[in-house]
Amino acid sequence: MKSDITKLDELNRREFITSAAKACLGVGLLPMAGSYIHNNVNALEPGARPATARYVIYLNMSGAMSHLDTFGTNPDAPEIQGPTKSIATSADGVFLSENLPETAKHMHNSAIIKTMVTSQGAHEQASYLMHTSYLKRGTIAHPTFGSWVSKLSGNINTTIPSNVQIGANPAGAGFLESKYGPLPIGNPSAGLANSKIADYLDETRFGGRLAMAQKMNASYLSQYDQKQVRAYSDLYKDAIKLMRSEDLKAFDITQEPEQMHELYGKSNFGQGCLLARRLVENQVRYVEISRGGWDTHDNNFEAVANNCADIDKALSALLLDLEMRGLLKETMVVLTSEFGRTPKINPRDGRDHWPYGFTAFLAGGGVKGGTVYGKMDKVGRNPAEGKFIDPASLNATIAHAMGLPLNDVQYSPSGRPFTVAHDGTPLMDVLA
Amino acid sequence: MAARWFSIVAVLSLLVPQTWALEPLRTFKTASGQAFQGRLVSYEGQTFYIQGKDSKFYPVPFKQLSAEDQKYLIQVAQLGKVPKGDPRSIAKETPSPTPSVEETPKDSGSPNEGVVLRPAPKPKPKLRPGSFFAYKPINLGQDPSLASAAKEVSAIPGPDEPIDFTNHVLPILEDRCFSCHNAPYEKNGRTTHPKAGLRLDTYEWVMKGNLDNTVVEAGNLEDSYLYEVITMDEEDDMFMPPKGGALSPEQIDVIKRWILEGAKPSAGGAGIASDMSNGISFHDHIFPLIEERCLDCHSEPYVKNGRTIHPKAGLRLDTYESIIKGNLDGTIIEKGNAEESTLFAVITLDSDDPEIMPPKGAPLTEDEINMFKQWITEGAKENPSDTFVQPKEVEAEVVTDAANSNLSLIDTLAKRLKAPSRPQMEAAQKSGALVTLLSARHSMVRAEFSSGPNLIKDDAIGALSGIKNNVSHLDLSRTSVTDGVLGEVKKFNNLTWLNLKDTSVTDRGIQNISKMPYLTYLNLVSSKISDKSVETLASIKTLQEVYLWNSDVTENGIKRLRSALPDAKILF
Repeated sequence: MKSDITKLDELNRREFITSAAKACLGVGLLPMAGSYIHNNVNALEPGARPATARYVIYLNMSGAMSHLDTFGTNPDAPEIQGPTKSIATSADGVFLSENLPETAKHMHNSAIIKTMVTSQGAHEQASYLMHTSYLKRGTIAHPTFGSWVSKLSGNINTTIPSNVQIGANPAGAGFLESKYGPLPIGNPSAGLANSKIADYLDETRFGGRLAMAQKMNASYLSQYDQKQVRAYSDLYKDAIKLMRSEDLKAFDITQEPEQMHELYGKSNFGQGCLLARRLVENQVRYVEISRGGWDTHDNNFEAVANNCADIDKALSALLLDLEMRGLLKETMVVLTSEFGRTPKINPRDGRDHWPYGFTAFLAGGGVKGGTVYGKMDKVGRNPAEGKFIDPASLNATIAHAMGLPLNDVQYSPSGRPFTVAHDGTPLMDVLA
Repeated sequence: MAARWFSIVAVLSLLVPQTWALEPLRTFKTASGQAFQGRLVSYEGQTFYIQGKDSKFYPVPFKQLSAEDQKYLIQVAQLGKVPKGDPRSIAKETPSPTPSVEETPKDSGSPNEGVVLRPAPKPKPKLRPGSFFAYKPINLGQDPSLASAAKEVSAIPGPDEPIDFTNHVLPILEDRCFSCHNAPYEKNGRTTHPKAGLRLDTYEWVMKGNLDNTVVEAGNLEDSYLYEVITMDEEDDMFMPPKGGALSPEQIDVIKRWILEGAKPSAGGAGIASDMSNGISFHDHIFPLIEERCLDCHSEPYVKNGRTIHPKAGLRLDTYESIIKGNLDGTIIEKGNAEESTLFAVITLDSDDPEIMPPKGAPLTEDEINMFKQWITEGAKENPSDTFVQPKEVEAEVVTDAANSNLSLIDTLAKRLKAPSRPQMEAAQKSGALVTLLSARHSMVRAEFSSGPNLIKDDAIGALSGIKNNVSHLDLSRTSVTDGVLGEVKKFNNLTWLNLKDTSVTDRGIQNISKMPYLTYLNLVSSKISDKSVETLASIKTLQEVYLWNSDVTENGIKRLRSALPDAKILF
């Protein structure tokens, strides 16, 4: 069986169906609100300060990116730095690794947190902590950060879901209503799978079939008029609404001109970023793109350089494209991984798991451009400047920028209280 | 069981005329074991009025008393030994058995007197004559006679005296708030900052509030956090001051009156509350009066001692909507016709008429009655159309504010406005937009329209007109709006952020927004804007970001725009 980490970026059919089924159990395959009128105004509590970001694109470097060879270089400590060089960026005094020359041009819109820390050193647990702000427990499934965003920030576009996950097996909405969970997209180029009406069905026949299904359901529905039962018919309604909606075009990146595809790069990740931009234009609040291949226990430097060629092109294209469209002002782009990699280079020229002092890259809406928070010491184990920032605080920082209420309590079925960023406090140093 | 007895007794006692004799003094015990001596005077429903030894009346709920006392009370009530009704009002109508009784001073802040017998406020310890502590400190170089004169002014103001911030409010803050909410100071080499980032040491700081929000809204008690925290339940975490007990009712009253009078820096300045030349404003003129005189009985239902107390006559006057709605008998206000309005009729009855409102205290003064009359005649509107602020005035204020503080433009604009009410927000949602407050306790609103094709047309924005001054962010991107929508958008005076990306807006429509006073962000990506709009855009001097990519503006146009708006970020 494939582990979470070694699996390919793209979902296979079985995985897609599993996660889609997870997402729809109870409420909906295609999670969305029922009406065009926003009737949830009373439920939406604004946060402590006005939002400076309305959308988030979260680039998850699954498998743990080597921070020392990407966003967290330390030129003062050559013995841990290895062969990777640092280059100057568009922000004074901020350096990136030579693997990211294009991203360096956008550093004036970006910030780096260099003192990230996590309590977990295994991929699955650490990734869970990054995404939910809570430790993985056997007794409860916590909602992912995207699900919190979807729940707390309200859906503008009522036909398409406000939380989308591109690549990798998504975690769900946890104990929140499953409509807030991520809509999984396996292959960005293929768009939203299984959302088209079959070729051999014309409208009349399709209508006839629906009518027949309703007729057959009628007696059951009248006998068991319950929330869960109604949820199933809502599922059909929502799915059909989306199927007929022109908003499906948001998922179709073939509508983009060829230059755009080239700008982002033809890799899965690049195309995912292009799709993410289309989705944000269509007011999807939270898009996460996962990119694996970072678990570089062997041959770290070559693998990182290869990976960086891909993400550097896609990330810089994304930032440029968003800025030209005036969207960067309200869209926060986050790039991070579940933990970092050892400062010590192992005998196989690789780097191993390292939960101390990895990096998070933030850009765009709400971010104080050109800032670096913290600095690690020469052995890369403790902060030389600044404090350690844990995953909950990173999520709190993003949530704060989005104007979400950090103290809004949601209860699990057993009545335990949970908040969007657990016990995290926003790091104001990197926020505008 | 006991409750059933009472209903019977209550009916009986209505039918049988009684002569009252004094009940004997006895010791009452509460269920929790507290004992006190007193004399049963009257009862109303399940509440018994017991006159304590200090000859004050204490309303005590039946259920709070011990079983023995309950028995006694049932007996007394059954035999009709005591009158029915609140002794404080009975005292006026019928000769009271104890004529020497004083009325309990009614605390307007909290409608429930509660069962717990409040001890009289302790007098401040008298200092021995000549004691060191008896001397008031006088600053060096200050004339001692002037210093004591200044102290006298700062005494509690008379009931009709306008409140002065320096003389009346500041001494209270100094006494009770400064120890935590003062200017930052150095102590043992460390800088101590004011708690919650809130300074209360000068008028400017009090009005500025902290990073969360302002703490004082002139003329509006409900939105004044300062007033909220000093009047909330003492058990509450946010209760202020946290140490040394609550402010005295007189002190709270001073702060209340100061806020209602417009939270002015000095008494007599032209404040909101006194200025009626622009028409009567519900929030500034009518509501403060209603709050003072009517809400004791006509507020929203509340729970007191485990029972829900409903407003008298089923009439609520605590919001504009409920006032207009009236009660089951009908509306109490006929817009435009004071004589036909029940509300106006009951406040203008003869002072000895049993129906007159308010039933307690003096009738409304002639000025107050005239104010009601004028308000109803003007149409009993919530916001008179001519009270919103003239842009010119605002401009001056924004500039000074920005110079004095790090408040952002939006916060400055928000300070001038009242947050939209829930019905207003709900009405705005009907536009199809997601309408949210910018943040908690903020009065500005963000409206984001769904980008679904063919969903949003020009007329959708009409539903936002009720809160048009509150909208600071408007996102119309990817909707089907046309030039027509901008004729409406230009009325959104306080708009700072406008997104028209991917719409069919043209140069003709853009002309409408040339006079928008606070626009800082304008997104015209993929619109039909051409070089003809450059002059219009250049005239909006507040612009900081303009996005024109994929529009019809040429490089030449951009060059002209950049030279007209040198500090703005212009992308194309």
